[in-house]
Amino acid sequence: MERIEKKETAVTAPKSNWKWDFRMNWSIYLLFVPILIYLIIFHYLPMFGIVMAFQDFNPVKGFFGSEFVGLKNFIDFFSNPSFLQILRNTLVISLMGIFLGMPASILLALLLNEIYLLKFKKVVQTISYMPYFVSTVVIAGLVIEFVSTNGVITNLLVSIFGIERQNLLTNAGYFWGINFFSDLWQGLGYGSIIYIAAISGVSQEQHEAAAIDGASRLKRVWHVTLPAIRPTIITMLVMRMGMVMTVGFDKILLLYNPSIYETADVVSTHVARMGLNRMQYSYSAAAGLFNSVIGTTLLIASNMLSRKLADTSIY
Amino acid sequence: MIEKNSVGRIAFNIFNYGFMIALSIVCIIPIWHVLMASLSDPRALMNVSGILLKPIGEATLNGYRLVMKNSSIITGYINTIIYVGCAAVLGTLFTTLAGFVLSRKTKLQKAMTILVLFTMMFSGGLIPSFMVNLKLGIVNTRWAIIIPGMINAYYIIIMKSSFEQLPSSYEESAKLDGAGPLTIMVRILMPLVKATVAVVAMFTIVLQWNSWFPASIYLQKRRDLWPLQLFMREILVQNDTAQILSGTDTPNIDLTGNLVKYCVTIVGTLPILCIYPFVQKYFVKGVTLGGVKG
Repeated sequence: MERIEKKETAVTAPKSNWKWDFRMNWSIYLLFVPILIYLIIFHYLPMFGIVMAFQDFNPVKGFFGSEFVGLKNFIDFFSNPSFLQILRNTLVISLMGIFLGMPASILLALLLNEIYLLKFKKVVQTISYMPYFVSTVVIAGLVIEFVSTNGVITNLLVSIFGIERQNLLTNAGYFWGINFFSDLWQGLGYGSIIYIAAISGVSQEQHEAAAIDGASRLKRVWHVTLPAIRPTIITMLVMRMGMVMTVGFDKILLLYNPSIYETADVVSTHVARMGLNRMQYSYSAAAGLFNSVIGTTLLIASNMLSRKLADTSIY
Repeated sequence: MIEKNSVGRIAFNIFNYGFMIALSIVCIIPIWHVLMASLSDPRALMNVSGILLKPIGEATLNGYRLVMKNSSIITGYINTIIYVGCAAVLGTLFTTLAGFVLSRKTKLQKAMTILVLFTMMFSGGLIPSFMVNLKLGIVNTRWAIIIPGMINAYYIIIMKSSFEQLPSSYEESAKLDGAGPLTIMVRILMPLVKATVAVVAMFTIVLQWNSWFPASIYLQKRRDLWPLQLFMREILVQNDTAQILSGTDTPNIDLTGNLVKYCVTIVGTLPILCIYPFVQKYFVKGVTLGGVKG
């Protein structure tokens, strides 16, 4: 008979004894090995590659032969005259997506909830999800055409607002709008799915109780529905905060051009351009590390905040 | 449901239904425009400035004929199908396996989960990953696309949740019958999570079909391995129809190039849009697997 464990064990765990565990579960651990190898090679090894950021990396000399230069690459990145601009663009674009895009999806979900013709509702939903499945390349292609000098959107803006006729993708002032609205087209419907599901989970009894107390439809939305889906909203918010530094990267890469770098260049596109096109590996690795660290910090911070404020968290 | 049929309510309904109709139109119109343009006469196309509701000029399938016969497009299609197939099969397999492993209550469960979760929170970055792939010698080969794309930590977590939500009675009665963990997984639990596996597979397929960036950095020297999206990028974004039209005897390169853009767009998006209505209900379920609480 094995000696009984002195420590407290969780209610559901079996005898928490290493030998017993390995004997029982060796096949499970074995199954994990290929996954572990994969994670190590493709996710954790690159993390060690971060050392590039502190070196004057030379592909020939490799990780071990390149000269160590401390924080020089970071200083180079921070003192790049465009640094603040790049940072600003990243934050503006991401935060626009979060603080304008999320409420839009939530609003759509709330409005859809007020549609009672089921067939109509289903059809609208199906159509609204569709743009999400269109590839970024196609969307970029559509945008490029529609905002070109004689494109459909350009024509619209010229006739309604009287703006100067031009290729809107050469004017830095339009980029944030172009990017946001194409993101919206693609993501509005899809983003609403999760809120629709959450709304449908709100208890009917609460609604009826509120209605009996004389609450109008609008009041019920504000006082019953929204509080009920708050955990979902916060979870989504936390997830998106974690992606602030990286989101939207590939579409921006397709849409931008040197004439609009001042509003279109974000940290991740800067990293890609410097590293892959200009082969400034160390600089690029440093900028990339900066990006990752900020992203992780934001994720952890917003997760902690959500745990404090709303009692829900992802980790 | 208690309802008051006030004027305000009726006005709101009119607005709401109207809004939904407008939304649906906005979602469809760009694609419809492209479809109509792809069937139009190239010459008339150059002069159009609005949204096309039907083909302009004489409807023609010439653009499509050109596109379907084009070797780059065919290459792209074949490659994309290869990459999507591998991701769907290998990726889903490993993801499900990983999800299963992480759902078992073993002593190392927490450690393994953190190992997986951490990769979602922090990454080495683009350049270090590129260097690793370079050193592995998979740059400019198919593997650079297939392997990194195989496992997605987010889907592993979804599979894990899915396994964990199964009532433990299945597992317990199997254990009583003497089944080992492997048997339990394959013969009992797998059939039960089929729906989630389908969702993960579907998302993987769509993601992989639309993916272009990894190919753009890892396959720079091997056009013959390019997925369809990369050829499409060349045509649609970089406006470079020279490659695609070279070798064909089209009377007017500029006009045809324009038409070809539309046809290529449809050809590259159609498969997804066709499958879409059928799988729509599955992915709605899939999205909620990740986030809805309670």
